[in-house]
Amino acid sequence: MKNIVILSAITALLVLSGCSKDPKVDEATSAATNEVVKDKAAEKVSSVETETVSSKEASVVRDNGSALSSSDSMSSLENDLATIYFDFDKFNIRADMQSRVSTDASIVNKKASKFSIKLEGNCDEWGSDEYNFALGLRRSNTVKKALIAEGVSASRIAMVSFGESNPTCTTKTRDCWAKNRRVDFKLLP
Amino acid sequence: MKILISFLIAVTIAYASDATIEVIKKVDSLPTLAVEDSSVSYSKEFKMKFFKSLVADLNVISLFNVDRHYRKINYDASEVSYENKDINYVLRYKLSRDDRGALNIELKILNKNNTVFSKNYKVNNPKIYMFVAHTIAYDINSYMGEPPVEWMKRRVIFSRIVSPRKSELVIADYTLSYQHIVVKGGFNIFPKWANKEQNAFYYSSLDEKRPTLKYVNVKTGRKRVIKSSDGMMICSDVNDDGSKLLLTMAPTGQPDVYLYDVKTKRSKKLTNYGGIDVGGQFMGKDRVAFVSDRLGYPNIFAKNINSGSIEQMVYYGKSNIACSSFGEYLVYKSRESSESFSDNTFNLHLISTETDFIRRLTAVGVNEFPRFSIDGDAIIFIKNYKAQSSIGIIRLNHNKNYLFPLKYGKVQSMDW
Repeated sequence: MKNIVILSAITALLVLSGCSKDPKVDEATSAATNEVVKDKAAEKVSSVETETVSSKEASVVRDNGSALSSSDSMSSLENDLATIYFDFDKFNIRADMQSRVSTDASIVNKKASKFSIKLEGNCDEWGSDEYNFALGLRRSNTVKKALIAEGVSASRIAMVSFGESNPTCTTKTRDCWAKNRRVDFKLLP
Repeated sequence: MKILISFLIAVTIAYASDATIEVIKKVDSLPTLAVEDSSVSYSKEFKMKFFKSLVADLNVISLFNVDRHYRKINYDASEVSYENKDINYVLRYKLSRDDRGALNIELKILNKNNTVFSKNYKVNNPKIYMFVAHTIAYDINSYMGEPPVEWMKRRVIFSRIVSPRKSELVIADYTLSYQHIVVKGGFNIFPKWANKEQNAFYYSSLDEKRPTLKYVNVKTGRKRVIKSSDGMMICSDVNDDGSKLLLTMAPTGQPDVYLYDVKTKRSKKLTNYGGIDVGGQFMGKDRVAFVSDRLGYPNIFAKNINSGSIEQMVYYGKSNIACSSFGEYLVYKSRESSESFSDNTFNLHLISTETDFIRRLTAVGVNEFPRFSIDGDAIIFIKNYKAQSSIGIIRLNHNKNYLFPLKYGKVQSMDW
């Protein structure tokens, strides 16, 4: 379940726009000019608007949970799908990852055939510009092409890139960074 | 001789307003300004916070050599404090709390013990004292007859990664000292103001099946979905009147730059290269700059929206991965070292489409997320150097950089 909370955006506007207003001059009260830098937040704090975005994953568990045996559940199938790792600054599938891709493709085509697949591309610490997200996407796209070559329908595959924003390891070592250059599999209903 | 003089004058006029040429101003030539505190309320800690915030803003307007010493004096004292007797301008202020808890500020500027400027300010919530400091600096800049520094009053919106796949969208003042979280609880990145008025913004949500661009009206707090795309869905830039967006989408796995019409909701693909084309930036009405790896490494290119020809914009650096434009100017982020497993240096450079000059704007550290101010007078950016992150302001025409240390959090993206 994912909650997205829009936190008192009105308050932010009122608070932050206060200074951008033209100065209010009150020459009658002082030789100096008076400016009221408005702070409506102190006077009127708007209620927090909370919107719950329904999670499709959650609804699947609720709607179809009884129909799924535990061994076929999405989470257990996801655990069976192996992450594909990449070399530094590389986007091709390494020789030692080929068998993983084949195994993953087999699971996707058989046990998980009723689900769609989301490929999540990740990078190591190279910044969070759009270009770095594009590099993560390139890794997802490589795995997508490999899955298609193994007979997975392209229409079942969605892709996303998390850039460097989804690390599994955060220490500054070679081994750690190698763990972050990867594509994870997620199943979608 | 006449020809030589004429030539020199012509060159001077031609390049007088070129921001890619560094303006070297002697610091000594600026008038001096000292700040005196006459406050009667508030703790010493709060008084020092306000003093530091005001001194920082007075430095950023780049019109004075600002004395950093904190001095106390009676507000009505006829003479400036002894230590300030040789200072050109003395800014004296008095903070006081009224019965309703509001922060009141009396302020005057003394020149040779004569009051040359005075104004009173009031803010109901003392916690947003930094906005008063910004406003005071803005007013003093105007009093000195300089072009308005509107950007000082504008807001910054940025995304902050708080844990893997969790982020917050935050609205802040230009020094990021006041921060207000507007969206949290999901994985939302790349916020972008939707218009000049800054009353709405776009952001990318990665919580859906496909990356989705959303729009939030700041006044009402309501949000709506704009568009989804497989792979990537980012609003890279918004044109001056907010009617057109430059999006990065990758419906077939290839990231490309698209022009999106807000009214008709139609998008037009602008780039067709089979590699990476991202980060579109409007350059005037008909041109778009973007980042592409079409030469085998990331670099900055531009193309006319209505024609197919593509022009390489930058000929310096082998890894230019982000840019921001204002009129003829382009500021870009360039990787200047290639360490595989240690910190690299990323510097910002400024170029003009009218000249061949390149101006390096930063020297050390990781400098990123450059954004021009609304009037092109300043550039805001994030600097990471020696385990300290700061927000930086570059005054292009004053050849000065200012840094404000950030308290916490890693900035993912930022718009001004």
